[in-house]
Amino acid sequence: MTAVFAGRLLRKISLHTAWVLAVLLAAIIAGIAIGETPISLSLVFQVLANKLWGAGFVLDPIDEGIVWNYRLTRALVAAACGAGLAISGVVLQSLLRNPLADPYLLGISAGASTGAVLVAIIGIGAGAISLSAGAFAGAVAAFALVALLARSTGAVSGSGQIILAGIAGSQLFNALTSFLITKSANSEQARGIMFWLLGNLSGVRWQSVTLAVPVVLIGLAVCLWHRRSLDAFMFGSDSAAALGVPVRRVQAILIATVALVTAVMVSLVGSIGFVGLVVPHAARLLVGVRHGRLIPVSALAGAIFLIAADVLSRTAIKGQVLPVGVITALIGAPVFAVILIKAKGGR
Amino acid sequence: MSLPRFAVLLASLGFSALTLAASPAPLNPAPATKYPLTLDNCGVPLTFDKAPGKAVTIGQSATEILYSLGLADKLVGTSLWFNNVLPQFQEQNARVPRLADNDPSFEAVINKRPDLVAVQFEWMVGPQGVVGTRQQFSELKIPTYLMPSDCEGKDNLVGADGTRLRPFSVDSLYKTVDQLAQIFDVQARGAELTADLRSRLAKAQASVKDKQLKDASVLFWFSSADLQVDPYVAGRKGVPALMASTLGLRNIVESDEEWPTVGWETIAKANPTILVLARMDRRRFPADDFQKKLEFLKADPVTKNMDAVKHNRIVILDAQAMEATIRTFDGIEELANAVDHFDLHK
Repeated sequence: MTAVFAGRLLRKISLHTAWVLAVLLAAIIAGIAIGETPISLSLVFQVLANKLWGAGFVLDPIDEGIVWNYRLTRALVAAACGAGLAISGVVLQSLLRNPLADPYLLGISAGASTGAVLVAIIGIGAGAISLSAGAFAGAVAAFALVALLARSTGAVSGSGQIILAGIAGSQLFNALTSFLITKSANSEQARGIMFWLLGNLSGVRWQSVTLAVPVVLIGLAVCLWHRRSLDAFMFGSDSAAALGVPVRRVQAILIATVALVTAVMVSLVGSIGFVGLVVPHAARLLVGVRHGRLIPVSALAGAIFLIAADVLSRTAIKGQVLPVGVITALIGAPVFAVILIKAKGGR
Repeated sequence: MSLPRFAVLLASLGFSALTLAASPAPLNPAPATKYPLTLDNCGVPLTFDKAPGKAVTIGQSATEILYSLGLADKLVGTSLWFNNVLPQFQEQNARVPRLADNDPSFEAVINKRPDLVAVQFEWMVGPQGVVGTRQQFSELKIPTYLMPSDCEGKDNLVGADGTRLRPFSVDSLYKTVDQLAQIFDVQARGAELTADLRSRLAKAQASVKDKQLKDASVLFWFSSADLQVDPYVAGRKGVPALMASTLGLRNIVESDEEWPTVGWETIAKANPTILVLARMDRRRFPADDFQKKLEFLKADPVTKNMDAVKHNRIVILDAQAMEATIRTFDGIEELANAVDHFDLHK
């Protein structure tokens, strides 16, 4: 009996996994094939064949390098980042029962800016520490402060305290950033920071992939493991406790996971807005509120959305790359509006 | 462009033609300036009843031009430094107070009671001036001279470091020298200086003529916010573009912005014959250090395959030579010299 059930479940999971992977793969290949300069699809496949199976096509090393080291890594990190931000949004919205919750609510984006500004403008590390390292340190510091604040206000049941602590932390770190910039930057330096803060995937290479992909997979696994608890949380933490969910422990684990995933993404590519806020809602409208389905679908949608946004950011204006955060909002807002209207009409 | 602005532009063009026509041949003795002197500077009329006795500079380029004109004793304050003063001016510079390493405060400038403030960049004293607006200075009867290289044919409201409407012309540097010489009544010295700069430019140009370059291209890399991200490179109409075109090189960048960001993918595909890296004292981004730039170029799996990197056709150039300064001419000479020694047929 159980064996039959397990078998059916396994088949169901593998079927879903198959199409999810196929769609993701198609998106990644599109991400590789479209870029600043024209590179043909056949060349892309030749490079992939060379690298993955040692096919031995004779190719221009610059073309090969662009496809393998620039574009593939960029598509993979975009996918990881989109997925990570989207699941972070799902988890926070459910946990805090607040539709406006997004991954940056925990002060992470503000902290990352402060860290980056400290490195870039004040010159901590004298050029030896990269913006990313500074941003990660800032993000973690800000989150630690927010968590501490929320804890010391005795957030037993309250999502309210976490949100308020996050707002206070964000305000504090944003003020710090503004202070640092106005105090000591000339416009040339401020530009470097803005460019980075609005989201930028151009510095992505393989070492970013080896960080981003495992982190998002672990985050995905942790969130999926707690999918039932997340379902319970939607009725409030008291109901979740009544349903036997160890509320504080699950809350702590999930929030820490989300914070870590977001901090890694922000430190790699800057604060890309909109994905973590809107993709979860769009996914909910498409597949409903059960987290067993909502989390994978959000991850996939986030991944595809960010790959598409990155492609657009590189191709919208010839010879110039736009900040990907601008694109996510520019195309994301209308798409979300359409989904909202359609969902209403469907009812 | 609004109509009045266009009219001003036309007027200033007409004016520059007049000054060119009126400027004496270097061999003739230059006339003394007749005061009151009126001139149009970036759309603002300036009047001088006599030569300024005290001047403050905002921007290293303006400072070094005044030193070149032998006006060190008129300077009562300098600011906005990017690196050390040129060695030949070290002694004079030690005697002039430095108001700030970066942008000075409005009060620090007016506190010196200057008769003139000479400015390198519009973002210092323009409509959104970091120091103060030209209007604010003129209310205190302090004229501001803005280097024409940063306003003529340039829109500083578009792009982070401004956007060139017309290609930068070396004439705007000669014009700066001529006008400052006129304001301070040292026209003979000014004529001497421009004649010298002109002949250096011609010499550099002649030296590369023999190489008979055929579509040799170049990229100027200033810095990057992080080592691997899209770098800040010289646009196609800025000062480096002038250096390139003077020597018959093609700048591969196709943006009108002064310092646009362009992806490495685009750069690698364009595969320039020569790479020019900026050397600077600033250490805010890792890529400010030219050694780090070199390491990146040789280690990155794509850029290491570029022809310029493979054949080591890389020139390290003073970052200030890539701005509108008298160092621009040093830069052109150094670049010409490097081109002379490269084997461009590999």
